[in-house]
Amino acid sequence: MTEATGTPLQEASLPTAVLGRRGMERLDLLLLTVESLDFNGGEAMLWATQQLGFESLFPNRVELWKRRCHNPLRRSTRRGRLGSAETEALIRLLCAMADRLYPMLHQLLSSREPVDLSEQRWALVDQRLRDLIAERFNLRRGAVQRLLSSDHSASIQRQLVLTLALAAGPGGVDRLRASLLDPTP
Amino acid sequence: MLKLSYRYDQTAARLEVDGLPDFSSGHGEGVIGILSAWRLQLVGAPELEGKRDHLEALMAVVFPYARHQISGVSRPEGWSHHPVSIRPVDGVHQLELTSSQPDVPPLTIKLDDADLADLLRCLDALRSDDRVSISWPEIVNHPLSRRELVERVPLVRRLAAPVFGGLALVVVGVIAMVVPLPTQETKAPTDSIEAPSPDPVSDPSQADPSR
Repeated sequence: MTEATGTPLQEASLPTAVLGRRGMERLDLLLLTVESLDFNGGEAMLWATQQLGFESLFPNRVELWKRRCHNPLRRSTRRGRLGSAETEALIRLLCAMADRLYPMLHQLLSSREPVDLSEQRWALVDQRLRDLIAERFNLRRGAVQRLLSSDHSASIQRQLVLTLALAAGPGGVDRLRASLLDPTP
Repeated sequence: MLKLSYRYDQTAARLEVDGLPDFSSGHGEGVIGILSAWRLQLVGAPELEGKRDHLEALMAVVFPYARHQISGVSRPEGWSHHPVSIRPVDGVHQLELTSSQPDVPPLTIKLDDADLADLLRCLDALRSDDRVSISWPEIVNHPLSRRELVERVPLVRRLAAPVFGGLALVVVGVIAMVVPLPTQETKAPTDSIEAPSPDPVSDPSQADPSR
């Protein structure tokens, strides 16, 4: 890991970013990918929110879950858009979680790892992510069915893991925010 | 002189910077204000070294390239005359460094996704390190344009719908031209002889003979 310590994540003025529908879908899916990589991801996220100083925004697990339910692909979705402060907090939370899981992300993406070991790791991620999607997302939606389809799931999962690797740490916050604000093509 | 050296390590990348404190700018003793040299070691590649300009050129292509990669867009960064360029080639990222020395062929390094992420983290760590107080060129991350995002969809898939629609329109047009219109049978004009109308009733109160 780097010898240099990162800048503190708590900042007084957070940039304002209100995500559109597609951005919110991606953000929640990336958080779900973090949970698929870390079996204790839900608890770790809650702990990370306290470390990052977001207790007022997400005082407990339910509040965090309610914010994530703004994803329209969720089984129990909430109407309206997520506020800018909460969006920024979720982005920073995701980058902090990706930073924590970076060694695992590196192993998954590296072409120098043994092929069979890499396949086993990807199979575990695939299974866990499928289970989480099936548990929490609305399976009647075409976008969710595409996430689960065998034709597309592998490339989508690799892109999600690559996104987490490139957004890991404090330096990735700006990149990830800009990416989530991309217009719908 | 007080030479300082800091190192940023990742699994497949190691970046070291050497420099001196710039006391004229009020920097402390442990802070690099003047970058004298840097070295970058990537696994499976020769060591790279250079001056501050070369490091800034590396940052100028790697950061925008990574920004596009996050959005799933693989776009080359750097031009032919640029000292550093990076482009996607066969599923890997090909980093090409052109030496400022004459008669030195460009160096090509292939990075996989993990290597790219490691390199990016080293550069991120350097930029955010409080011990290196150098005004790096600002990197502004903007949302991509709709056009750039569309380009990640393969050309065949992008053109399939309009081509299919155009073909369908042409086929329907040709069929409409070939198939004859149903002809309406026109009645020949007949000379009708008007029957003589009975005399108009002159007196409405008179009896109707047909009753």
